Amino acid sequence: MRSTKISLAAILTMAFLAPSTAQTISYSEAGALLAKSCGKDIEKYCPKVNLGGGALKDCLMERAAQISPQCIADYKTVVASLNARLAAQAAVTKACQGDATQFCQGTAPGNAHYLNCLNAAKKVVSKRCTTAITNAGWN
Amino acid sequence: MSRSIRNTSLLSLAVAGMLAGGLTYAGAQTALSGDQIVQTMGSAARAAPPGLSAALIRQAVQQHMIDNPGMPITWKPLQLLDNLAQINVQIQFALNSAIIRPESYSTIGSIADALHHPILGGYKFVITGNTDTTGNRKDNLALSQARADAVVEALTTTFSVDPARVEAVGLGEEALEDVKNPKNPINRRVQLINIGKYLPGK
Repeated sequence: MRSTKISLAAILTMAFLAPSTAQTISYSEAGALLAKSCGKDIEKYCPKVNLGGGALKDCLMERAAQISPQCIADYKTVVASLNARLAAQAAVTKACQGDATQFCQGTAPGNAHYLNCLNAAKKVVSKRCTTAITNAGWN
Repeated sequence: MSRSIRNTSLLSLAVAGMLAGGLTYAGAQTALSGDQIVQTMGSAARAAPPGLSAALIRQAVQQHMIDNPGMPITWKPLQLLDNLAQINVQIQFALNSAIIRPESYSTIGSIADALHHPILGGYKFVITGNTDTTGNRKDNLALSQARADAVVEALTTTFSVDPARVEAVGLGEEALEDVKNPKNPINRRVQLINIGKYLPGK
């Protein structure tokens, strides 16, 4: 619950500050950032734990005193950004409902047809909708 | 060049090129993007037969081992998956273990980007693990399953992919990429395969 609140707040702030550029990073960028900032520490202090299932996070936290501050900071950035991206993905339908009705009538459901229509019409689509799509990583 | 892709459509070759670029991991950034995976995996021309499941693939692997005793060079590799929309991905694991090396986090992230995209939202996927023929056949099957499990766990926890849409299947050394050179490291790979429509509740 707590993290949901934080990411919603983050998204609202992002939407307010900079509606046109993505305020979330992709999963691929998240992986690259973790590898760049934490790769050495992981191979040194956590060589037997895997990325998934919380094991990596637990290991890094247990050894926080030895782990580089950059890694700790970027790890938190990654978690916050991925939470924000997930929340944005969940928010797209609602954020874009009005625009879909207005600009995408007759669009067949499924296969992301609505998304394609909204992206094609982005010059006239509401900021709220384009921001959600951008932060979802779907533009 | 086509080593990263089994089927040689123009689109696949383009992605293969990108993949090969992504393999130079000095800079940790991969050239393999979620968008490229989305395009390849959404190919309707290579739709999976109805009813294909991770359990069926596992069964086929077991049957393949029974039907093909002896040396790998005499085997006809498992062909069940050949015509499905798929990409080969090189994931670096620690030696003889299922620990994913940090340099491959980004590649797994690219798969997550693709699986989160609405275009693929209606599909189910299998992540396979494959070894070469070095070592014991049964051990290789177990290792490949553990590695596929590790990738799926990263996808479904760290990267929030819906666990109902992706399953891990170890193929061991039963579905070699380079049959003529069974010890070629090219055979060690992870695949993302579209196994058909995702129908919630089924």
